[in-house]
Amino acid sequence: MTAFQALNLWRRYFEERGVAEPAHSSQYIVAHLLGAKTIESLGQEKLNKLLSCDKMERLWELCIKRLSRMPVQYVIEEWDFRDLTLKMRPPVFIPRPETEELVELVLADLQGKQDTGMHGERQLTCLEVGCGSGAITLSLLKGLPRLRAIALDQSKHAVDLTKENAVRLGLEDRLLIHHVDVMKEPEVLLSLSDSISTLVSNPPYLYSEDVTLLEPEILGFEDHAALDGGEDGLDVIKQILTAAPKILSIHGHVYLEVDPRHPPLIQQWVKDNVNGLSYVETRHDITNRPRFCILRREQ
Amino acid sequence: MAFRTALSLLLNKRCPVAILWALKKPGLTQLGHHGMELRPFHRSAPRWSGKLLTAEEMFGRRSLQDYLKKLEREYEESLQTANSSGSGGGLDEDELRATRTRINRMAPLVQSIRELQTNEKEMTDAESLLQDDDPDMRELAALDIQNGLQHIQSLRHKIMELIVPDEEVDLCDLVLEVTAGVGGQEAMLFTAEVFEMYQGFAQYLGWSFEVLEYMTNDIGGIRRGCAGISGPCSYKRMKFEAGVHRVQRVPKTEKQGRMHTSTMTVAVLPHPTQITLTIHPKDLRIETTRASGAGGQHVNTTDSAVRIVHLPTGVVSECQQERSQLKNKEKALKVLRARLYSRRLEEETSRRYMARKIQIGTKGRSEKIRTYNFPQDRVTDHRIGLSVHSVRDFLLGEGLLEEMNSALQDFSNQESLLELLGENL
Repeated sequence: MTAFQALNLWRRYFEERGVAEPAHSSQYIVAHLLGAKTIESLGQEKLNKLLSCDKMERLWELCIKRLSRMPVQYVIEEWDFRDLTLKMRPPVFIPRPETEELVELVLADLQGKQDTGMHGERQLTCLEVGCGSGAITLSLLKGLPRLRAIALDQSKHAVDLTKENAVRLGLEDRLLIHHVDVMKEPEVLLSLSDSISTLVSNPPYLYSEDVTLLEPEILGFEDHAALDGGEDGLDVIKQILTAAPKILSIHGHVYLEVDPRHPPLIQQWVKDNVNGLSYVETRHDITNRPRFCILRREQ
Repeated sequence: MAFRTALSLLLNKRCPVAILWALKKPGLTQLGHHGMELRPFHRSAPRWSGKLLTAEEMFGRRSLQDYLKKLEREYEESLQTANSSGSGGGLDEDELRATRTRINRMAPLVQSIRELQTNEKEMTDAESLLQDDDPDMRELAALDIQNGLQHIQSLRHKIMELIVPDEEVDLCDLVLEVTAGVGGQEAMLFTAEVFEMYQGFAQYLGWSFEVLEYMTNDIGGIRRGCAGISGPCSYKRMKFEAGVHRVQRVPKTEKQGRMHTSTMTVAVLPHPTQITLTIHPKDLRIETTRASGAGGQHVNTTDSAVRIVHLPTGVVSECQQERSQLKNKEKALKVLRARLYSRRLEEETSRRYMARKIQIGTKGRSEKIRTYNFPQDRVTDHRIGLSVHSVRDFLLGEGLLEEMNSALQDFSNQESLLELLGENL
């Protein structure tokens, strides 16, 4: 059987069994098997070649995993985030495309700070709460060669995966990773540093009632602690914003990815409950949803 | 092989200038008619019918000699103006700055012209020594003349290269777009082969080649492919590749052994800089699969394809080459920018050259420029009537394609020069 035939066969299987994105699933898995990232970047010649027995066996193994509704990213154990290729492993949260845009915002801000020398010769330090696979922090470190970063996660799996990805990308030198649950031990957050230039997070922001409605790929494989933000999705967000003025340097920023219903709620809540933090603006994602909140530490 | 050698000899003998021209330094060549401007985007069909002249023949022309004298005069006048106004002459600051820029740009050219004059005079002196009574002296003179001629030759090339101005867009990077034409599956197969040929060409010349769009069908052909190319002189060389390419062969898919003729089109779109083309974000509609539903943490999709529509013009581009949605967006934007830019250039030039009968256009849609004939194992470029053998080697995108491409460039350069001198071939 050629790769091309296998591709069509598995697409049909996936279709029949109601697996989401049947065509893309079989394409990504076959491309990965043949050493490419996408089917589009795979030469035609390779697609028309017969698959060896080994490859066939491996393909069947991978596709059966997908039949169980395991996300493609876990099946092939890697995915791309911006220009990084990251290792993916259940149950660590799989980064979503929206978060690529969050990084874009932070990068632009930090680059500006570096260029204008607003912070003089001082070292810029970034803190991420809930680092998962390390996508955000590692992208920032990659993009800004002088940046230092601290990354936290409540999950040991996530901490280990971030470490592994950092080493693979050669970015571990400027990175500290801690296994901390900010909900249970908020005081640890305060002890980290009092001069963070940027606090960034893609915290769990789903409303608890929505969690049960998620696709089986997410519900059955991803860490619920990385998704479920409590009744109004704001549990972790509030915790982060409470700590923010105590750990940020003056004019340091907070960047959050949130549910589109959140921005007005957050703006009001901060006004009523947090001193020394002002709401700067809401930014939209590529699909034009209000997705990102930017706040700033005031004097 | 013998033919390849013969071809390269022929080309080199006819015009050794070719290589020098190709190596022209951008910084030195922005010298136009008045020592100031770049040529506007060149879009009319060149008059390929003429023959390629040698440097000697070019310099034998009165028109060129007159032109060189005129340039020298202009340079002198500029110098005088600048000097006199330094002591409070009639020029305002802007004019003065413009004059100084002109002087700086013209200096290398004028210097070469003067050097050439000196050398030519020395040559005349040396020639008189050939009549000398002393045989040693005669031998020395002969040697002198030989060296001098070489030097003169290289000076002439240098001068010509300094005179022919770059086009406005010559210094741009580019987006290559290949599209299958008539011939169904076979045309799509050939389109994929041509795309690979240019990938090889980019590698051969040390350019970067970034695939932006490439979707194969069942048997390996492509309806369309896009790539971003950047590197020294990449647009300047690739622009000669734009147009309709024709293939004649018995296709893989043909069962009865009949020969088919199919076509594909190469478009070479200069890639605009941020400054020359700005797109307003509000003019763009970006489409992704995540547009429906809640997005964010609610969904985990792997389809990262991005499609962008430029609303005012309806120009569309899409990319699904990457697993990262952001990367796909960047690539799609790159193609979109190039398409919008080439559209604008086309509008501008069609206004400017309304009167001309023959137009290629950046996309070179209309004209059949080259035939790849497999049974006869030759590639013929119809614009200059040049054929080379070994289609397979040609399709590697290496030496043979480079030779063909250089020949096209020589003709075009010569044409620009003659146009500049107001002469017809």
